[in-house]
Amino acid sequence: MIEASLVMLFIGAGCFMYRLLRGPSLPDRVVGVDGLLSTIVIAIVVVATDKHSGLTVETVLVAVLVGFVGTTALSRFIERRGD
Amino acid sequence: MSIVSGVFLVVGSALAMIGGIGTVRFPDFLSRMHAAAKAPTLGLLLVAIGAAIEIGTEIAITTLVLVVILQLLSSPVGAHALSRASRRQVVVQLDDVDQLTRDEQDGPAAD
Repeated sequence: MIEASLVMLFIGAGCFMYRLLRGPSLPDRVVGVDGLLSTIVIAIVVVATDKHSGLTVETVLVAVLVGFVGTTALSRFIERRGD
Repeated sequence: MSIVSGVFLVVGSALAMIGGIGTVRFPDFLSRMHAAAKAPTLGLLLVAIGAAIEIGTEIAITTLVLVVILQLLSSPVGAHALSRASRRQVVVQLDDVDQLTRDEQDGPAAD
């Protein structure tokens, strides 16, 4: 079941990466970054479950906070840059 | 691994994959944001439940509860800030009236 989860997360990360690279506008790329970080967070939790490691879970806390700060800062940047 | 936590992990990962597919397939920006903001949040919730069942130590459960609360609080805030900031730069199919622009021009509606 770990393998099935990781395969599906890989497909999802590929889709977000497509939107990050191709996205016609800057907000689309920000959506790609946000979703990619959410997928990475889920993947870290799945790997921590595989290893039965409580310490690996703590990495996720940092990743969630970095994702929130990154999305908010980029949205402020987009708003200020606006025409 | 127990069956219950395995099912939680698989369903949560499937939700993250569905969010990615929606991000690729949907036609305009707000639809893509709708797919990317909601589905992985529920996916993280389910995967965290599965991990808490499987790992079972106190520190892991506490951290996972904190992670889920932070994600449930921060994901809608980030999505709202991004969609409000970028509404002038992307092509959006509007209804008859753009209420945000109307409120900015006329001031908020009198209650």
